[in-house]
Formats: sequence, structure tokens, C-alpha cells
Amino acid sequence: MTLKEEYNQRIHSSMKRRAFLRSTSLGLGGIALSGLLTGFKVNPYLPKAKRVIFLHMAGAPSQLELFDYKPALQELDGKPCPDSLLKGKRFAFIQGVPDMLGPQFSFSRHGQTGTWVSELLPHFSKVVDDVCFLKAMHTDEFNHAPAQLFMHTGGPRLGRPAMGSWVTYGLGSLNQNLPGFVVLVSGESAPSGGKSLWGSGFLPSEYQGVELRSKGDPVLYVNNPEGVTRDLRKKTIDAINNINRQEYQEAGDPEILARIKQYELAFKMQMTVPEATDIDSEPEYIHKLYGTEPGKVSFANNCLLARRLAERDVRFIQLYHRGWDSHGSNEFESLHGGFLERVKEVDQAMSALVIDLKQRGLLEDTLVVWGGEFGRTPMQENRGGVSNKFKGRDHHGEAFTMWMTGAGIKTGMTYGETDEIGYAGVKDRIHIHDLQATILQQLGIDHEKLTYHFQGRDFRLTDVHGHVVKDIIT
Amino acid sequence: MKKIATISIISIFLLSGVWWWTHSHQEKIDFNTQVRPILNKNCLACHGGVKQQSGLSFLFIEESFSPAKSGKTAIVPGNVRKSEMIHRITSDDPEIIMPPDKPPLSEKEIETLKLWVRQGAKFDSHWAYKSPKLESENASIDFFVERKLTEEGLSFSEKASRSTLLRRVSLDLTGLPPTYEEAQAFLTDQSDLAYEKLVDRLLQSPHFGEKWAAMWLDLARYADSQGYQKDLLRKEIWRYRDWLIHAFNNDLPFDQFTIEQLAGDLLEAPTDDQILATAFHRNTMTNDEGGTDDEEYRVAAVIDRVNTTFEVWQGTTIACVQCHSHPYDPIRHQEYYELYAYFNNTADADFSSDIPKTLLFSPPQRTHREQLQLELEEIGDSLSIEYQQKMKDFIAVQPGQVQIMKELPPDSSRVTRIFERGNWLAHGDTVFADTPDFLPASQYGRDRLGLAKWLVDGNNPLTSRVIVNRFWEQIFGNGIVYTLEDFGTQGRKPTHPKLLDYLAIKFQDDYQWSVKDLLKEIVMSQTYQQSSKITEEFYKKDRYNYLLARGPRYRLSAEAIRDQALTISGLLNRDVYGPSVMPPQPDGVWNVIRHVGSWQTDQGGDQHRRGIYTFWRRVSPYPSMMTFDVPSREVCVSRRIRTNTPLQAMVTLNDPVFVEAAEHLAVRMREEGGEKIEDQINYGYFLALMKEPDEIKHHELVDLYHKTNGSMELVANVILNLDEVIMMH
Repeated sequence: MTLKEEYNQRIHSSMKRRAFLRSTSLGLGGIALSGLLTGFKVNPYLPKAKRVIFLHMAGAPSQLELFDYKPALQELDGKPCPDSLLKGKRFAFIQGVPDMLGPQFSFSRHGQTGTWVSELLPHFSKVVDDVCFLKAMHTDEFNHAPAQLFMHTGGPRLGRPAMGSWVTYGLGSLNQNLPGFVVLVSGESAPSGGKSLWGSGFLPSEYQGVELRSKGDPVLYVNNPEGVTRDLRKKTIDAINNINRQEYQEAGDPEILARIKQYELAFKMQMTVPEATDIDSEPEYIHKLYGTEPGKVSFANNCLLARRLAERDVRFIQLYHRGWDSHGSNEFESLHGGFLERVKEVDQAMSALVIDLKQRGLLEDTLVVWGGEFGRTPMQENRGGVSNKFKGRDHHGEAFTMWMTGAGIKTGMTYGETDEIGYAGVKDRIHIHDLQATILQQLGIDHEKLTYHFQGRDFRLTDVHGHVVKDIIT
Repeated sequence: MKKIATISIISIFLLSGVWWWTHSHQEKIDFNTQVRPILNKNCLACHGGVKQQSGLSFLFIEESFSPAKSGKTAIVPGNVRKSEMIHRITSDDPEIIMPPDKPPLSEKEIETLKLWVRQGAKFDSHWAYKSPKLESENASIDFFVERKLTEEGLSFSEKASRSTLLRRVSLDLTGLPPTYEEAQAFLTDQSDLAYEKLVDRLLQSPHFGEKWAAMWLDLARYADSQGYQKDLLRKEIWRYRDWLIHAFNNDLPFDQFTIEQLAGDLLEAPTDDQILATAFHRNTMTNDEGGTDDEEYRVAAVIDRVNTTFEVWQGTTIACVQCHSHPYDPIRHQEYYELYAYFNNTADADFSSDIPKTLLFSPPQRTHREQLQLELEEIGDSLSIEYQQKMKDFIAVQPGQVQIMKELPPDSSRVTRIFERGNWLAHGDTVFADTPDFLPASQYGRDRLGLAKWLVDGNNPLTSRVIVNRFWEQIFGNGIVYTLEDFGTQGRKPTHPKLLDYLAIKFQDDYQWSVKDLLKEIVMSQTYQQSSKITEEFYKKDRYNYLLARGPRYRLSAEAIRDQALTISGLLNRDVYGPSVMPPQPDGVWNVIRHVGSWQTDQGGDQHRRGIYTFWRRVSPYPSMMTFDVPSREVCVSRRIRTNTPLQAMVTLNDPVFVEAAEHLAVRMREEGGEKIEDQINYGYFLALMKEPDEIKHHELVDLYHKTNGSMELVANVILNLDEVIMMH
């Protein structure tokens, strides 16, 4: 279906669906997974994105070592931080007067645009012209769990629906046989915010993100128990549905028909999920492009999987890669230790994803978003008032870099600017709620209109804030 | 000419006659049903609790009777011409007309408002804020339900079959289906009192408390972990859950149940159990992430206590009042912090150790211990083997450090200030503990104990209604007020207001807050015992069964689906009380947080305990129960939204817990069901539904058996997946 067709369908069915959602608790289950392509309150504009791939770098990578080049900070390296940067500010760990910390790696210009990129990103340097950098991102939160929740649910505390839940709630799913909101996790463990990051909050639980696991069943319980073949499963499901049809004759409850449908869908998903997640079947050159090693839990595998899911029209594909928290308090959490490992894990794979989506024409209507939950300080972290043993930076909400591409986002562009040392944005700042508003806008949703009534008020992803960043949209 | 004049005169006469007729015969305008909806829809967005433009609000009565900033008065009772509001809604001037930038009010709405002003502009408080009234001495549940049915041209359905009723009432009162023996006992008892005897037995079952504690745990946002980033484990908090089960089993009167949970520590010479009850409000989350401000999260916990208390007991959502006055209900910003002050004086402060804690036994532990002590004394001979054995048991009963509520001493009490726009760093005026003005004033002390007593004082119009409605919803699938959590003007109206009042009064006065008495009345009613069959007429007239022309029909809860499969298969471990357990879950599910806890699947029977005992970690609740819509228990949840998804089918088809249940059911069918395959299959179906399958269903199951080369396991798997098994009906 083209975007235009989808849009027309949304317009037609939006009122119908709204009335339906308000009035029913019956058969709701069908919607998210059944591809009833019905819009909620739609924008008067044609949507540009059919789907989103969000690459979240949980733990917050340092923008000063990757994208935000600050030669002036080098000159201040080792000098005590001026009082003006500390007065009235709250930090997670910094105490007293920390020292400034210069960029730890060298930068050079790349692409037609001459974009400054760190030496740590040899692969990504080649695709800089295909993305839009957002250099002056900022957030209200400076601790991991609240900041991640803020990024993905619009609020810092637990209990609100994830962006993917809002989107599938608002737009439905495009694929009959796969969940509409899928989550892929790599790194040492799940992100700090836990499963609430893809929870449906107060929305019905069918809108919660479904985690596709790298080990064991890709979707929990998708595989039949030992000894139960597909043929035997078919026979059992037929028996269940036949008896349920008989029960419908007796009891007359339409919910029974919905259940019959769900069992048919479950049977289909038992095929489609393993098929969709089978990256083994990709050709060699694709594995080379991404740096994938089938069978491992890795960000590269998840990037390739994300592309396969995008091809199958999964609406919201959320990746988490964890382990970026480079305080310098130990080797794992330091800029010359764990941070370098993380960069290696993502550089090739995220670049490959952009290249691959582009060569398949998927970048036209797939929105890709990359970034952490906040940035890092230009100062060296000094918990307890003493500089850490390893080089590292504290959490910092006032400035960080993200990038976006695809689905009507301008490319070869850098939007926003930070001051000389990368402490704060000085031009074209983007708040988290603005980013969320923009993502929804590209999907054809007015962020002020997609609401849900709960605890006596209408909630929305962007709370009572958010402005679409029009300058980065074509 | 003359003719025309005559016609005109006659017309004028006629018209004024029409005017006179319509106005004098117009029924009196009712504020709540006719005026409030117009104001809510058109006016309150700008003249309500959040915005009070020109100093005018229609929420707080006095403000619309006195001059606004413009000097004009919005409403002059009895005088339409002088009432600025009427002038504004009828004006042609785009600069003047209200509401601005919106379609003008309809003729009918304008007429209603005019008439209302002319009739004296009587405000009336919202129905839920007025005391419940008993309509008739001879009332009953069936009386109110049937009256409404008659009004709608419907009537009661026939009584459900005995099998259906047996399964329904067993699941409703204990969360478990009957065993084979229990089923036989009831089905063969032909006496008139058989059903009542069944109900009485279920009310006395130790599993009664498990079922009802499950409801309360969602409200108490109970979990075995702290929440937030590290989500450290709370390994002793299960004693509070056991307090709850014990309280329901012993039918602790609901007023006492309330007081002990909110303020047990403030009672005179509180018992250990009363102290333990206060863990209710220590189920708030604790944030142990490095670098977070403890005060910020202490404040978050106190706010959660205020919101939870008002949601649970008052069906009032006041989270929005944290930042500004309530947009639709008459609760002021300042009043929120007056409630906050009740809770702002406890010693807990987001410490990662969860202190203050106290070493406590759970109530069943305590009784067990006392029992053992007596037995030891009886044996006397401390060298005997029997004594030694008992001693071991005695020593095995260990107390644990449970977090509890503890008031700060008066000399170090906290001052409560309003948080401007809800920002905990922006302090406004100092306030003192008080109850909000829209409810009867409190005659009690200004501490948590006083607040708890005020809640269960007979004068509080909300508590009994709200609580009765919660129990009703558990039984019927819908509340009398659909929005359990919101009895305010934005919530739904009761479908049967008189019935709600009747039950509320009966619960608090006649039954003296006895939950068991209340439930007995409900399940003994004709309304409850109807067949749940949905006819085309029902579906057209009342799709969601709000009118109750048929019995309840809804999907079972996550816990009940698990417990039922274990019961039918004979695997259920019926032990009551004790620490949380870890039934099988797939590897890696708990790999959420570094270095904190690991899932160690229980063996030796504990893996087959009821769902309520499953270890509940907030960042990763038990996955198969999540699929069946349990909340994560981060905040209070009144209503679980039931969904129907393919992932649920995968759980009941493939989750090893359900696979094991099917295998065991197959063994039972073979061993206990008789010689013939047909009988064995019927037996399995009977275990699930307390009746034999009809011919079509029977053939389908037998067919499957033969088509799968005689796999009774797959037949059992099918039985556990049938709609009639997954559903309450």
C-alpha cells in the first residue's frame, strides 16, 4: 500500500475507529495485529513515514567524542571548571569543582557537507551526507531511568505508554502476522528504564512492545513444545476453533469469534516470526555490510533484523544498545575502555542500516532516529570531589547530539549548535518533546490530537508541550 | 387590513400562550444532568480549575455570583438580563460571544441555561459528593436491577445451569474452580439449600483471601522489588501480602482494614499485625540509581500515597491537582497539599535500604508459632524426638525486616509547602493537614489516623460506594460506576444509582463493613445467578451488559487462568501464605538489570503455587501473566483492561507451565476417567467445566485424539485452551 492509499484509508476510517475504540472492549485484540488500517485523529497532511526505527544508545554516549567537535575545549583540558558552569546546576555525580576534559579523539571533515566526525567512526563518516544531525538536543532529566522514560514515554516516571505504543494505538499495524511494535535489545543487559520503556502504560496491553529475543524463542512461547509438529498444532487449533464455534452458537458472545481469530493469528505468527527473524538467510554481502554474526546477541544482528522487520512493515522498531555510561569510574565505564568497544559495535552496523535501507528504497518511508537519553559534560567526572582514575564524563541534559534520516527528513544537514565547549545549545535547540512531536508528525499524527483519557484527564505523548521542528522537514 | 391586524393579534396571543405554556409547564431544570454537562463541555476549559480567566470559575460556586474582573457578574440568580453569561452566549458580536473560536451553544443549550438562571440558578453538588440515600426498606439487588430492566423493556434471563453456577461462584469467591469431589458434592445435593451451603463453604475457604487479596494488590501497587533503575528486591515484603490474605480470610471489617493499613502505627499500643498493615503505603517505589536526589523521590513517594489513597477509597483522581486546581471537580491546588501534609511526616526518605523497617512475623506465621509453642509445652520432655522435631519447626518460623510507616517525632516534623505548578523545588505557601472542602469536614485528628477515620466515617459519601463498586466489578465484570477510579464529573455515571446507594448503606450499616456479608448478598441474588447467554436482542440493546439482563461473562484474570489450569490438572499446590515463589519462566527474561537478583525456578511443589505468590518484579513481571494484562504495579491500578491477543494463545498453548498442566491432565484422564477413551475425554472436560461436553464438542475431541495417534496430551491441551475455560460465564 502506498502512503497516499494508507492516508486515504485513515481519513475514511478515523471517525469510525474512534467511535469504536471508545465504545468497545470486545474484539480490541484484533486491531493491533490484524492490520485494520484505521487512522486515529489524522493530520491534514500526507504522512511521510510508514514506520520508525529508533536506535537508542542506552547509557548516553559522549557527543564530544563522536559528533560535537570542540577544539576550544582541548585548550581548557585539565583546567578547573569555571564557576559560571556550576552555579545553580545539578549534576548526577560531579561534586565541588571538576576539571575540564578536552576531546579524547581527533576529528576530521567528511562528505560533501564537510561534516566534522570523530576518528572513531570510520564507517559512519561515509554516510554523513545521508543524515541530519541534531546538535543541540536537550532534556529535563539527568539520570538514566528517568531520562530514558522521558525519551520514550514523554514523562520521567513509570506508567506512561511508550512512543511505539502510542503509534500503534493511533495508526494500527500494517502487518497482519507480526506485532506492530517490536523491541530488540543488545548490550550487557536491558536499559535502565526496564520494560516500562516499551510498556503500554495506561493503554491496553496489546499495544505494548513485543521483545524479539536473540536467544530462545524469538517471541515468548512462539515455538511448539517438543514433539508437537506444525501439523499436530494445526489439528489442535482446528479442534479448539471448531469447539469454540459451537460454543458461539450456544453462548452468542462475539468475543468468541475474536478468540477464534486470535488462535488463527497465533498459528500464522508461529511461521512468520521465525521466518522474519532468520537473519541466516541473508546473503554473504549483507552480512559483510553489517558485520553480523548470526547466533550472537549483537547490535549488528539487531540492525539487520530491523531492516527485515521494516521490509515486513512492522510499524515501530525499537533498538536498545546498552553500556554507554562512560563516567571513568572503572575501565568498563570509561572513554578509553568500554566506550571504544560500544563505538566499534555500532559504527559499522548503523551505517550499514542507512546504506541498506537507502539501496532498497525503504529510506523513503522509514524514519530512522539515533541517540542516547542525554549527553555528557565537558568536565571530567569527579565523584567524591576527586578526578576519576579513568577518563570519563558525567551525565548532562543540556546538550547532546542525535541524528535522524529518512521519511522526509532533510539530509546533509546539521541543525542546532552548542557553545564553544559543548556545554549548552546556543542555536536551534530541540527538546525531547519537540523530537517526539516531529516523529509523530512524520507519521501523519498531530501530537496534540493523539490523546487517551486516563485518571480524569487526556494524556498525550508530549504531555502539554512540544513543537514540530519544521526546519528539518523537507 | 383589519383582517391582518386581527390575525396578528391572535398570533401574538397564541404565541404568548405557547410561551406561557412551555415555560410554566417546563420541568425544573436539574443542575447535574442538564446544566453541568453544558458548562463542562463549553466553559470549564477557560473558567474551571486550571484556568480562571477574568477571575471567573464555574467550579467554585461563589465565584460566578460575584463580579468578575470586568466588574460584571456572570450569573445573577433569577435575572437573565443582568447575567453576563447569558449575554455572552447569545451575542452576535464576535468580540463578545462565548465560547470564543468554537461553535456557539445550540438553541436548546441556551434555553436550558436561561431557564436555569430564571429559576434561580441553583447549583447542586455532584451526585457522588452527596450522602447515599436508601430508597426503600424492602429494596434488594434484584429489585433495582429488575426495575431498570422493565423500564428498558427487558427482563431477567433464566437461571444458569447448576454446573455453570458452581464454576462461576467458585471462581468468583476463591479464584479456583471446584475439585472433582467438590463438584460431585454440589451436583448431587438436591436440597433447596445446596447453593447457599456451597456459598457458605466458599466464603470459609482459606482460598477466599487469596482471591480478594489479588484485587487489593493492584491497588496497593504491591511488588517484591523497589522499582526504578536497579529495582532491588524486597524479599520480606510478602508478609504484607499475607496480612492481606489473612485479613480477607478473617473478614476484618473494612473500616478497620482501612485504618490499619493507613495508620496502624498510630493506633494506641498497636499490635505487630497492625504495624505490618502499614506496609500498604511502603509499597511506593524507591530509587537507588546513583546520582538521584533522595528528596525528589521521597516527594514522589508521598505524592503517590496521596494519589493512591484518593483513588482507592474516594474514587477520585487528583493527580492533576498536584500541578493546578482540578479542571472539572471542585478541588483546589492548595487542598492537594493539605492532603499531602497528612503523609509528609513519615521517617522513610527514599533510602535504598527501605528503612524504617521492623522485625515482624506475618499473621499466619505468628499463629503457627504460637501453636507450636503450645504443642512444645504439652510435650514437655525436651529430649524426646517429638519435641526435637517440633523445635525444628518452631525455629524455622523466622521473622523478617519489613518496611513500615513510622511518624517522625514532633520536634522534627516536616513543614508542608505548596509546590508551585507541581514542581517540588518551587515552594509556595505553608499549609496544614486538612480534608478538601467538597467533602464533609473532618472531626478527627490531623494525622494519618485522623484521615483514615474520616474516610470510614459514615458521613463520607464516597468510601462505601467506591468500595462496594470495586467488589461488584470483580463479580460482574463492570462496575455500577464503570470508571472505578473516577467518581468525579468526568467519570461515568452509575448505571443503577439507587442500587449503588443501597449497597453502600447496607455495607457500612447493616453489614458493619463485612466483605463476606456483602459478597454473599451479591452471589445469592437472582441477578447474579442468571445465564450469561447473549441473544441477538441483548446484543442490540445492551451489548456490554450494563443493564444486567444476563449473567456475567468476561475473560478470567491472569492469576485465575494459571490457577485454574493447575487445579484442573491436579498440579496445584494448595499451600496458603508464605514467601513469594518462582515458577518456571524462560531464561534471560530477568536479564534486565546488572548484578541484581536472579530467577531461580522453585522445585518440590512451590512451582505450582497460586499466581498470587509469584515473585513480582516491577521491571519484569512474570511474562505469561503480563500477556494476560496484569499491571506492572508501579502505581495504583483500579481496573485491568482486558485484551484478547494471539500472544495469549501462545501462552496457553506453549508455555511450559500450561504444557505441564496438559500432560498431567492427560494422566488424570487416563487413570481416573474409566476404561473407554470416550469416557476419559468426557472426564477431562468435566474437570474443566463440571459438565459433560455436548455431542458436537465430544466428537471433536475424540476425533482429535484419533487424528493425533492417540495423544491425550493434545486433547488436554485443547481443553485448557477452550473459550469456555478461559472465560468466566
